[in-house]
Amino acid sequence: MLSMQHISKVFRTDTVETHALKDFSLQVNEGDFVAVTGPSGSGKTTFLNIAGLLETFDGGEYTLDGESVKGLKDNTLSRLRNEKIGFIFQSFNLIPDLNLYDNVDVPLRYRNLSKAERKRRIEESLDVVGLANRMKHIPAQLSGGQQQRVAIARALAGQPRFLLADEPTGNLDSQMAESVMELLESINANGTTIVMVTHDPNLAARAQRHITVRDGQVTENEREPKVVSQLRA
Amino acid sequence: MKDFGPIIRALLRNKTGAMLIALQIAITMTIMVNAIHMIINRSELMARSSGLDEANQFVVAQYGYRDDFNEKYVVQTDLDHIRNMPGVVDAIQTNSVPMSNGGTSMGLQVEPGADKEGLGVAIYMADDHALNTYGVKLIAGENFDPTEVEFRDGNTREWPQRAIISKAMAEALFPDLSPQQVVNKTVYINRNEPITIAGIIDQLQAPWVGWDNVERTMITPIRTMYKFSRYLVRTEPGRRDEVLEAVKSYLESRDVGRMLFPIETISDVREQSYRDANAMQTILWVIISILLIVTALGIVGLVTFTINRRRRQIGTRRALGASRGDILKYFLLENFVITSAGLLLGIIGSIGLNIWLVDAFDLPRIGWIYLPVAMVVLWLVGQLAVYGPAAKASRISPAIATRNV
Repeated sequence: MLSMQHISKVFRTDTVETHALKDFSLQVNEGDFVAVTGPSGSGKTTFLNIAGLLETFDGGEYTLDGESVKGLKDNTLSRLRNEKIGFIFQSFNLIPDLNLYDNVDVPLRYRNLSKAERKRRIEESLDVVGLANRMKHIPAQLSGGQQQRVAIARALAGQPRFLLADEPTGNLDSQMAESVMELLESINANGTTIVMVTHDPNLAARAQRHITVRDGQVTENEREPKVVSQLRA
Repeated sequence: MKDFGPIIRALLRNKTGAMLIALQIAITMTIMVNAIHMIINRSELMARSSGLDEANQFVVAQYGYRDDFNEKYVVQTDLDHIRNMPGVVDAIQTNSVPMSNGGTSMGLQVEPGADKEGLGVAIYMADDHALNTYGVKLIAGENFDPTEVEFRDGNTREWPQRAIISKAMAEALFPDLSPQQVVNKTVYINRNEPITIAGIIDQLQAPWVGWDNVERTMITPIRTMYKFSRYLVRTEPGRRDEVLEAVKSYLESRDVGRMLFPIETISDVREQSYRDANAMQTILWVIISILLIVTALGIVGLVTFTINRRRRQIGTRRALGASRGDILKYFLLENFVITSAGLLLGIIGSIGLNIWLVDAFDLPRIGWIYLPVAMVVLWLVGQLAVYGPAAKASRISPAIATRNV
């Protein structure tokens, strides 16, 4: 599904050179739920940006769904993001002037889907997150947890094979965080691959796989997938 | 156009900035349409033919200040000499010329009587050389005979028995008759004094360019003896300046007790006559240009502000699959929607202002073509103004979506 081999990323200013990722390698398989943790500045967000095709990398190989993304043109990267990846952001990133229906519609509008198909997908995905009855509301009329559910609906509507979640519960209280986490688990159970960046060890522990990033590298061995360890037990 | 619906809904939720720009566009269109209408209207007036052979004519004015100034003799000898100078087509003494903004007018009526309504007419006084000197075309009737020419001083009240009128005047007096049928008709001046129409000329404007009936003129066979008079000289094509110098030298060489005013070409007369109109046109163009620049800057300002406010939103759209082109098109379309709203208001404003101008200043109504042309211009200005900031917005990195500050 996602394969990164020896990825490096350097940020340069006139005087400073920061190696955000160094020899970073990771393999994510179809259906995985991977939690990525690490201290601030460790390179988690850079990894997420590169994995989500939001940022380019300087060295190494990155293959997404069997296709090398190195050197692809901006338009192609936009299309790949739109068709293969769903994003869930810490701050939800909903468009405040648009109602929920239009917010979920945003990624679908960049794909040549019929109006009827878009409508079906929007209604379905809002139904999945339990907000089908609030389509005409604007984000400001919702709680944080509800807004993150809308963001998840927006990610789901595109029917991506791969969900990238950046601290999806970072701005939520524990009750809302739990409900969002349960939602992600159910999405993963339906076959969608999820990579989630988080600071919360408890949430990370609920993922099938947990990797830690430090100084731009995967420094700790992955623990065994939850299902495997459960089987051994 | 895929973002059209969401753009409308988003603008309706966040109206203030968009409304201000729409209002600015409406005001710009209102002023621009009416200003251009005035400019074109003035240009059409300025482009009208005076009826003269303007490129080959000049006037010289004189004033006899000495008691021994014998105007009848001086003028006759001057004209005899000038008419025989090389390069001269013809010359006359005349009370006025078109576009000079000074002359004589009277009322002409088709029936005698103080109770009958007269039509205003500008009167040119000149001898039988008038038609050739003005360069006008006789389309019916005949020219004056030299023996008809009368001398007129400040005390003369009577008018000659025959006159030549312009076609526009003939049509005004006798709307149902052809020029040929108007010849030999009698009209009345000073309420009861009959004048027979000797001929009809194609066109000759009155001296007052701002007069509504500027085409209504009459030439009478009169040589004036007012001490102040003008010579109009027509030259062969291309020889005006050369002849002008020769005439000037000749007139200056005669010591007859007169003062000569600077010689003016008819081109000079036209330029002076329309100087205010030209200045007004320049001012109107400057106003239009400033308005367009201010409007464009307003759009640039609003879009730049909007983009800075929506950087994360733009990054999020990019992260969700929008290409750079999609972002560019989004802002161009958003501006198109705002501009269109302004233009709709502008149509109402333009027509409203024009109705007021028609009532207040007797301007003609604007033609419908002004509105679509102004709309296209303002759409283009809007799109050009928004292009730079929108192109900048399209370069916002999608990675901004994951920044949490």
